[in-house]
Amino acid sequence: MFSMIGEALKGHLDLLLLAILAERPAHGYAVIESLRSRSDGTFDLPEGTIYPALHRLESQELLHSTWSEDSARRKRIYQLTPKGQQTLAKRQEEWKKFSKAINATVGI
Amino acid sequence: MKENRIQTYLRNLKRHLWVRGLADQNDLAEIESHLLEAVERGLNQGLSAEEAERQALERFGNVRTILSAFERERTHLMQKILLALAVLTGLFIAFVDSRPTWDDTGITAGAMLLSSGLLTLLGYRRPWLIALAIGLWTPLYETYLSRNFRLPGAILFPLLVLLIPTIGAYAGWAVRLGIRKTFHPA
Repeated sequence: MFSMIGEALKGHLDLLLLAILAERPAHGYAVIESLRSRSDGTFDLPEGTIYPALHRLESQELLHSTWSEDSARRKRIYQLTPKGQQTLAKRQEEWKKFSKAINATVGI
Repeated sequence: MKENRIQTYLRNLKRHLWVRGLADQNDLAEIESHLLEAVERGLNQGLSAEEAERQALERFGNVRTILSAFERERTHLMQKILLALAVLTGLFIAFVDSRPTWDDTGITAGAMLLSSGLLTLLGYRRPWLIALAIGLWTPLYETYLSRNFRLPGAILFPLLVLLIPTIGAYAGWAVRLGIRKTFHPA
């Protein structure tokens, strides 16, 4: 993976995770798949590195997790809390302003 | 029965995460579930068991990468407070030890040993850093006051002093590990 993308991604991982989970509750594996497919493979992090980020978001009460026993294997399902939804909306606004400023500066 | 790659990886990762207090049973179960799902999908795509395991582990990230991700995300405020306490304790010990009326090396050494042990017992994850934060100031200040910068004394004296908080810090860390092992087996 292009290292600049990897470094930039680290700074915006929270926003990406919250945005993916805003669509529907999901377990870690599905979150990573979604991250990869929605970015056309550009955001291809080592899969294990998103778990500590998910746990941190949960400790900040932006996510809530429950264990699902529906399938053959137990899965930890994450979903956005009301506080997570508010934070996502705020981060999306910030991102809009930031990306607009970057695009204007670099001439895209 | 011989372990497969996934089992070996999980055992290794669990040991490292558990020893550092970075993950609980639920976190470890989640990682295991992820890897098993990745292997299952590989098998469904027609890969051999060995290749499915190899690809699952490659995508998940090596143990070092995952450990550093957990460490980065879990440097809680408590860790920073404990380190700040260690620096303050070290400075205080150095200050008391430098007083002209103070002539009890045994108490200085004991204070270093106990405080470093206590801070790692309370949960600081890097014993070597606690040892440095507590033990560095006394020899540095001593060397500065005596103006003795000649080798090897200027190097050997600090190393000798650092040995005391190092022993204390690792002893506290080992006791904490023992307590975790007793009450929260991996």
